[in-house]
Amino acid sequence: MDVEHPKAGKLTHLGAPYRLREPWWQVRRPAPQLGEHTAEVSAELPSPSRPPNPRPPTPNSRLPLAGVRVTDFTWVWAGPFGTMHLAHLGAEVIKVESNARVDITRRLPIYPKGMEAGVNRSGIFNEWSMGKKSLLLNVAKPKGMEIIKELIKQSDVVVDNFATGVMDNLGLSYDELKQIKPDIIVASISGFGHSGPRKKYMGYGPAMAPVSGLSSLSGYQGGSPQEVGISYGDPNSGIHAAAAVCAALVARKRTGQGQYIDVSLFDAVAALVSEGWMDYVMNGTQPERDGNHDPVMAPHNCFRCAGEDAWVSIACGSDEEWQALCQAMGEPQLASDSRFNTAAARKANEDELEKLLTAWTAQRDRWAVTQVLQEAGVAAFPALSASDLAEDKQLEARGAFARLPHPEVGPRLHMGIPWLLAESPNGVRAPAPLLGQHTDEIMRDVLGYAPEEIARLKEEKVLD
Amino acid sequence: MQGLEDVKVLELGHLAPAAYATKLMADLGANVVKAEEPGGDQSRWRGPFPGGKADPEQSGLFLSLNTNKRSVTLDVAQEQDRLSQLVQWADILVHDYAPPRMAELGIDYPAFRALNPRLVMCSITPFGLTGPYKDYNAYDITVANAGGWAWLSPGASDYPDLPPLKAYGQQTGFQGGLAATVATLGAYYRALETGRGEHIDLSTQAYVSSFMEQSFVHYTYSERVASRLGKRLLYPWGIYECQDGLIFLVVAEEDQWERLVDLMGNPEWGSWEIFQGGIERAKNQDVLKMYLDEWFQQQKVHELFRMCRPWPSLPKTSISARAGFLWMWNIPRRAS
Repeated sequence: MDVEHPKAGKLTHLGAPYRLREPWWQVRRPAPQLGEHTAEVSAELPSPSRPPNPRPPTPNSRLPLAGVRVTDFTWVWAGPFGTMHLAHLGAEVIKVESNARVDITRRLPIYPKGMEAGVNRSGIFNEWSMGKKSLLLNVAKPKGMEIIKELIKQSDVVVDNFATGVMDNLGLSYDELKQIKPDIIVASISGFGHSGPRKKYMGYGPAMAPVSGLSSLSGYQGGSPQEVGISYGDPNSGIHAAAAVCAALVARKRTGQGQYIDVSLFDAVAALVSEGWMDYVMNGTQPERDGNHDPVMAPHNCFRCAGEDAWVSIACGSDEEWQALCQAMGEPQLASDSRFNTAAARKANEDELEKLLTAWTAQRDRWAVTQVLQEAGVAAFPALSASDLAEDKQLEARGAFARLPHPEVGPRLHMGIPWLLAESPNGVRAPAPLLGQHTDEIMRDVLGYAPEEIARLKEEKVLD
Repeated sequence: MQGLEDVKVLELGHLAPAAYATKLMADLGANVVKAEEPGGDQSRWRGPFPGGKADPEQSGLFLSLNTNKRSVTLDVAQEQDRLSQLVQWADILVHDYAPPRMAELGIDYPAFRALNPRLVMCSITPFGLTGPYKDYNAYDITVANAGGWAWLSPGASDYPDLPPLKAYGQQTGFQGGLAATVATLGAYYRALETGRGEHIDLSTQAYVSSFMEQSFVHYTYSERVASRLGKRLLYPWGIYECQDGLIFLVVAEEDQWERLVDLMGNPEWGSWEIFQGGIERAKNQDVLKMYLDEWFQQQKVHELFRMCRPWPSLPKTSISARAGFLWMWNIPRRAS
């Protein structure tokens, strides 16, 4: 995407993280110059006035997406992570499952210690499926396909993360879904998207840091490109899909129009490598891999602390923070040391700086370092492991954990909703569903089937 | 009217979190006003710059994060009336000032709600607006550590002396912006119907820690703690060196392994029992790696990538995996 800027000239920017059937995504203007529109915007503002409604409104009794129904064909990670956030916001997310093709994550061996394996017991499934409902349905049977179409007719959103072509082959392409529900919003997540020369290439999440260029920029000084520790392509495409779905819901409410969202794991990660990309566009080069170092800030690294494999991150973004760090370390003379007293000097003498810091941190507990530095206003925090996270006081204080009773695994600790709403109920509403837990409920309440019909469809292995 | 056209969005803050959230909205048509402190958004000073020469109008990070927006300068602490006008104008406000700075600038949801009851406001902060660490100072590296990401990165490392590693760039900032967009647009969807606003208090630490793969539940279910060190759970998996570059390979399914062995010309070791089944291969990954390294070193990246196009004979609706090669995209190295 070429963008012409009055000062920077014409530069090729990275394109959209997703492709939309309706052409909402556009670059209409380049990034603004500082204060460029101050006068223009001032003219558009309402004149200063008394508050229109000084009485605070009553809180919302329902969640933001209450009443939104999602038919969820997703599995494994990218898709389920995205639809989980729709469930977090109150949408009714109906996960379409079948005994013939159980979500792989139901079978990943992350079972409670000492408990037998089981499709309702895997921690990873139970994490990404919080707040969703499970419908057992065999879409390979004609009646199963009929039911899925009835469900889609009653849905606002359909999400899948099948390989390219699978939904089309099922007879559930966007055009076909639009016949069923004209204003349907469809999000389809795949490795390389549903168009272009690589649309049929498979694309696992872990491959996305390497192929997007993120790995070529991430790694230790002088070392090889590194993956970034997690399968970044998955959650990142899932959350981009959720964002696009929410935008499409807003647009539908205003215009009555649906949307097809084609989310590619590749495009969505590439969009977040913009600093490296712009360096290449502007200068034909990219930064060398440099560990935890920052191009501007120093110190900026993880430092070893007392204890086994214990680390604390420390970063100074200004001279004031550096001076505060020197005081906190009990080395006030360093604050005026010319090797370190400006950002450029600290950057030039970073090796020496790190040796001094390490000598200090290595004798100390990582939390003690964090406390003394944060009290001085310096950004510091230990590298937390999973067990550290489970005991983290901040996450606990904010109710960030979900501990919902689950009929098979009990009240296990899960990471819950990362935000708190001021005007609405907070917290995950329900644990992950058992396989097929809501089949009867959905058939009866959403699709209007009688109990005897439901029983027959179970016997015929349609609801299976 | 299409997409988010005419949705009025006010952005306050620095670097990536709020800017990425409002960029997602702006690129879909929203009317985004970015109110910058007199010195400008810090990303104007971060670069990369053409020729490495700092210029606040030519920062690559700023230019890419702020397409489709308008900029006004606002000395928030001094110009509370103009801030009030902007708050009354906006449908959505996204900011990423941490609590101490919010207090200095007068960014306060109850006050804003009184001015504009339908306002959807989102605060993106490292640790959230409540809790014992709410006032902690943090940069991207801080949140990557606090969210448990650095601890896992780079993964399968053989070097315990090297520290936890953050991913390149402003990744936690972008991620905070993404989670904020989801919640903000969700709340705005409701506000269109009810006329009632919302305040979203997003903790980037909490969001980052929610996508640490299976590591968290590995601990809470199985009492296992993963780290950046150790071995792959599946093998082959990794970045391998070819004659002319690097390639990423992951073999997740047994049929992929069979095809890989076939592609390698069915060497004798390919049929060894110690390499049959993902668990066996993972157990013997050091040995297998030696054989793979030797083979990869004779290959050319793009030829290999071409050879691994989708398997042609898959049944139509099968979603089973194909050969799992992907090339490494490497921007040309700096000439030196």
